[in-house]
Amino acid sequence: MSSEVFIAQIMPIKQKLYRFALRLLGNEEDAKDIIQDALVKVWHNKEKMGELQNLEAWCMRITRNLALDKIKSRKYRMTDDLDRAQEVPATHQQNPHQTAEQSDLMRRVHGLINKLPEKFRTILQLRDMDGLSYQEIAEVLEIEMSEVKINLHRARKQVREQLQNLHVYGIQ
Amino acid sequence: MEYSKIRELLDKYWECETSLAEEAHLRDFYAHHHGELPPDLREAAPLFQYYHAAEADTMPELFTDGPAPWETATVIVRPFWHSWMKYAAVLLMAAGLGYSVFSFQQRRDDPQDTYAFRDTYSDPKLAYQETQRALQILSKNLNKGKEQMEKLSYFHDATEMIQGKNN
Repeated sequence: MSSEVFIAQIMPIKQKLYRFALRLLGNEEDAKDIIQDALVKVWHNKEKMGELQNLEAWCMRITRNLALDKIKSRKYRMTDDLDRAQEVPATHQQNPHQTAEQSDLMRRVHGLINKLPEKFRTILQLRDMDGLSYQEIAEVLEIEMSEVKINLHRARKQVREQLQNLHVYGIQ
Repeated sequence: MEYSKIRELLDKYWECETSLAEEAHLRDFYAHHHGELPPDLREAAPLFQYYHAAEADTMPELFTDGPAPWETATVIVRPFWHSWMKYAAVLLMAAGLGYSVFSFQQRRDDPQDTYAFRDTYSDPKLAYQETQRALQILSKNLNKGKEQMEKLSYFHDATEMIQGKNN
């Protein structure tokens, strides 16, 4: 793989990889580091690229493995990135009160997704936030497609229950 | 009616039967909807709004994104007076050189050196007398030295005789 091919095929998915790493680590700086490492690893394994069916899924798997290694390596402290949750754009908000309310709501959604078991959370995020197909998710996580569907169904069910609590009782 | 379609899509979504395009449609609907929603559609609104907002996360620039410093040839143009030290050094060098040349010339033309090559007597007779006197003084002093040397010579001969070298 030449550098032109690398730039044409890998660089466009960089943002998606970053968002994935950011969600796993919850920290912008660490996510940036992981992406640098992942890109270097992809470059070093460029010979394998010809055999791959899905380049994006492969890159996401590399990113995920590196992020999980980082989490394991130093008892990574996952932080709820409240600041980021508050940065949610509120385009149709008219006043600061509504903006604050919206930010609070986003923070609660962020919290309830983060409380899901790791597997559920990752599958939900890969599907609903990164827009990956079931097949791609199965490749990233190295599991069966049927398992992806089952876990996604369970994850959405849990999220729905939490959302109902949030909606009806205002609790998380 | 838009709402009935959304309702239908939501039911499919919770059952994991939606396609990626349908899920994108749901996200889009909730992100851009203004005003009150029917009660049954409100429940999922925060979730899809959250998904939509997460798409806005962009990666800060990596150091590899920009060109390396050596790839961009930046020409720094400084005003003339910013590099004053350069000009001051040249001026100092010139002043030093000029001074040394000047002092060398002065030393060369120094009148003290020229006395040696100038005549001191205008009268040849007087000059001859003076020269004779000077030579006599020189000869007298040389003779004084010679007398001492003769004594040394006797002493040397005597020493050799004692050692029996002359025999």
